Amino acid sequence: MTAYVAGDKHAFRELFARYAPLLQRAMARDLRSAEEANDLVQQTFLHLHRSRLDFEPGRKVKPWVFTIALNLKREFFRRSKRRQETSIDDDRVAEPFEGPRGQERSDAARETERALSALPAEHREVIELHWFGGLSFPEVAEAVGSTVAAVKVRAHRGYVALRARLGEAALDPDPRNIESAAGGGR
Amino acid sequence: MDCPDIRDAFMKGEVPADADVAAHLKGCPQCSELFARDAELGRSLGTEGTVNMPFEDELFARLEDEVAQENGPRAWLRSRPTGLRFAVVAVSVLAAIGLGGFARLRADFSEYPMARLLLLLGVYAIAILLAFAKELYLSIRRGSLADHAGLLVGALGLPFLIAFAPATETSRHTGSGGALGCFGYGALLTLPTAALLWAFDRDDQPSLRTVCLSAVALGLSANFVLELHCPSGNASHLLLGHASIGVAWLAAWSMLRRSRSPNHLRK
Repeated sequence: MTAYVAGDKHAFRELFARYAPLLQRAMARDLRSAEEANDLVQQTFLHLHRSRLDFEPGRKVKPWVFTIALNLKREFFRRSKRRQETSIDDDRVAEPFEGPRGQERSDAARETERALSALPAEHREVIELHWFGGLSFPEVAEAVGSTVAAVKVRAHRGYVALRARLGEAALDPDPRNIESAAGGGR
Repeated sequence: MDCPDIRDAFMKGEVPADADVAAHLKGCPQCSELFARDAELGRSLGTEGTVNMPFEDELFARLEDEVAQENGPRAWLRSRPTGLRFAVVAVSVLAAIGLGGFARLRADFSEYPMARLLLLLGVYAIAILLAFAKELYLSIRRGSLADHAGLLVGALGLPFLIAFAPATETSRHTGSGGALGCFGYGALLTLPTAALLWAFDRDDQPSLRTVCLSAVALGLSANFVLELHCPSGNASHLLLGHASIGVAWLAAWSMLRRSRSPNHLRK
């Protein structure tokens, strides 16, 4: 980021290559189409470009990028008057991304995706940032504008709910029954 | 061993298990959940592979196009550091107050109760500072509009409340005439600040919070100027010519917001 602020255009591509997949994943789980997710990823980097002079050397880039992305995502939902929630049998539940272990891995990943998508947005958001984004809890707290204690509680509750959903999924592979078994949890 | 180490191990398909892990789990209920029931959750989350993003080049090409269009005065202005942008806006507000208020003081200024004037100006100044501080805070940290609804309603409504304050001896017998002139005077003096707020905004389509806070700041600034400039104590005049400026700015910003397409980036 420091190199980019100094005018190195190649650094922008490196930033994009490093953070775009994480952002795309975080966006895709909440949005109805890949195009919407890509638009928000694009906007995130455009904002990053416009805000580049606000970057303080020594500060971590990842929480800053995620803060921009989360604000854009919330604004998107506010404008489109859609709730940042997903339904377990909704079309927008993301297909699992390709992994190296073939169909077995893909099925397991699909179950995890479905269970994650069924979590309340505030729990899912913290898990997304902590687990998939690789942010520490203080960084997650910075990104979502909350306290470390609060995000830890949200993560814990999210993990408990996720484990319950995955447990139900193992017993009943029909995803439409998972949500009712888990009581909705929203 | 810490949370990221445990996450990395699960992502590699491993189930970390040693004394360090056990020590970490004693103090980390979040990670403990990952290991419950034979590490069921950790294994499940670990099955999430790396993201396959075949459209990366296309997306980056679109982004490069957008970035290439980021030139000209507005692009330069809105890429300035946040502190500088707010300082410039603050200077424009002070200039409006200086030129429109202190340089053209109300006719009854020498007889006007100074304590009352200072109280009113102090209330306006605090409300303006709160609005700008909130905007600055929100530009850095997230926050929903609902979190700040009290400030917005209070700041927009403040001039309406003040319009019903008892008139002073000097302003008691003023009529409602000249409201349009005061409205134009206040709106014109805050126009440069409005232009700066628009130019500095990094969103192509201003967010609702930006619209509301900008209107609040502009309306309060205009009322501050008019408190110094206009001797009228007539409630109708104050409502139509002074207090309405904030509402008018809110309407203007809302129209500007609606005129911008939210999906301008989609091609």
